[in-house]
Amino acid sequence: MVKKANMIRLSVITAMVVFAFQTARAQSANATAGNTPDVSKTLRSVAEALGMARRTNRAGGGRLPFVDVINRMEIWGNGTTSDGSRTALQTEYHVALSYNPPAVRLEMSRTNPGGGAPQHTIQTVRDDYAWNESQPGAGLEPGSGTATPAMGAAKQRLLQLWILPYGVVKAAIAAGDKTKLSTENGSEVITYPLSGQLAGVTVKATLDDKNFVAKVETQADNPAVVIEADYSDYADHGEILSAVQSPGHILQKQGGRPVLDIQIKNWDGANPYLVFPVPDSVKKAAAQEPAKAGTTNGL
Amino acid sequence: MAHPKNWLVPLTAVLCLFPAAVALAQDATPTTPTMDRSINVRPKPTGVTPRTPDGHPDLTGLWNGAGGDLGSLPNQMHNDGIAIESQTSSHDVHSGAKIATWPVTDRKPIDDTEGERAATLLRRVGSNKPIYRPKYWEMVKELDANANEEDPSNNCMPAGIPRAGPPTYIGQFPNYFIFIYPGEGGLIATQTMYRMIPADGRKHTPLENLDGTYTGEAIAHWEGDTLVVDTWGFNTSTWFDQLGGDFHSENMRVVERFHRDGNELTWTATVDDPDVLLEPWTTTPRIELLNPNPKAILQEVLPCSERELAHAVTKDHH
Repeated sequence: MVKKANMIRLSVITAMVVFAFQTARAQSANATAGNTPDVSKTLRSVAEALGMARRTNRAGGGRLPFVDVINRMEIWGNGTTSDGSRTALQTEYHVALSYNPPAVRLEMSRTNPGGGAPQHTIQTVRDDYAWNESQPGAGLEPGSGTATPAMGAAKQRLLQLWILPYGVVKAAIAAGDKTKLSTENGSEVITYPLSGQLAGVTVKATLDDKNFVAKVETQADNPAVVIEADYSDYADHGEILSAVQSPGHILQKQGGRPVLDIQIKNWDGANPYLVFPVPDSVKKAAAQEPAKAGTTNGL
Repeated sequence: MAHPKNWLVPLTAVLCLFPAAVALAQDATPTTPTMDRSINVRPKPTGVTPRTPDGHPDLTGLWNGAGGDLGSLPNQMHNDGIAIESQTSSHDVHSGAKIATWPVTDRKPIDDTEGERAATLLRRVGSNKPIYRPKYWEMVKELDANANEEDPSNNCMPAGIPRAGPPTYIGQFPNYFIFIYPGEGGLIATQTMYRMIPADGRKHTPLENLDGTYTGEAIAHWEGDTLVVDTWGFNTSTWFDQLGGDFHSENMRVVERFHRDGNELTWTATVDDPDVLLEPWTTTPRIELLNPNPKAILQEVLPCSERELAHAVTKDHH
């Protein structure tokens, strides 16, 4: 009888250990540091839909966890943009970007259907440094073109990283328990604050029924960083397929007016070679504006 | 007398816990290039650093306790600077940035195409990239994008230095070192390489008097407890990083540093090539583990045989 009671006691204790082990495992399954469980679960779903959260069975990697594989990307497209006037300019659009370090190089060739000289601009930002280039890599060595500091544009340019679908996932994870989940008109909505140089900007991202980011809206006192972006036609738009899903159409509005309407031709999400060294002339200019110098991740 | 079925609950519980116990045990065992691992960070070093009679750290040994340097995805990610500490935590060693990590919750099968595409991305996440002169930016990208045709190590050519990483075997003698790099399949099909490196105080041959080779002219010296191997005189038939189209000129100079701490060897290589790079570039430190079996020997590897290139029909990366 005593043996039977001990056996039952042992069984109960062992079962509790198993239950606790499995519960802990289940709770950690969707964990991203600092996020609440429901937010973590949603962000993981978005990351998986986008092809960000990846694992492999190749080359002895079968037991590794899912890892965020998005760092460097390159995007080509065409459509229309606005230069501040009401005219929609025909635009060839080329973006190189990096999340680590945070950097963007936006190259646009624009023509006015009504006439006038074509415009070619390269707007670059890395960490807190912003500058314009006469050609990619301008100012890095003699004869490589001109780099013109544009420190005041750093926030706007960095913001472009964090309103892309991948930036939404990264920034929402980074915001930890400040990231909130809600439902609006039947759609899941993720809301989170940016920090660092973009402190004061709140981002609201609306998901579609496939867990893709369909709309991103920012709120801030500074109107320069208030923007709305719609993303649609998700697919693997890479010339070399990587199963990273990217939008085929990007529409950005400011003040209710379209400022960018681009159809994507090619979206290389396979971490191509992209670098963003800061020219010495830009660093020197930044040093003269100490309040803006330094490095942050732009969040 | 206890009913036989009373054993069922504890037995079931033990069976439920068994896979976790096995997984933990596997993490603690020495790995081979083909063994799956759930993390890729190295354990803290253990043991003392042996010294030779002349007082230098003794680097002699078989440094494959963590498996082949290029042969497994956990090591390839380690080489790229991605440290996976647990099923929920990773970071970029170069920048310190955290990388979102999610545990595996099911074992859904992954088909070969999906697995290879994911591996391609996983091997390239790291932030530590050499800064080429701007006129070469597109060229590096194109070489990487067309690596199936452009990679100079295709068809079993030598990986070269420093792409081969740290040697698998180091033999240390008073006035020279022997480094052996066994050929590997996997990421790049590399041919076995060896280097005999004098450490007798000699100077480099003037570069213009050297015919470029895959491993160059190497000379070693000690800086405190760190072995420094300075090499030049390369040909241009290699790339210098694990992946990425990192071509170089015949004026490349490579300085490798080896530091032993107990059963761990930390290796870095600094590539200086002003012809193509804006500034010298240093690899993310790689940490190799001493083979825990003191009787372990280098086994013969199969002759390198490139079996897949002829069947490559897309530009999908390797």
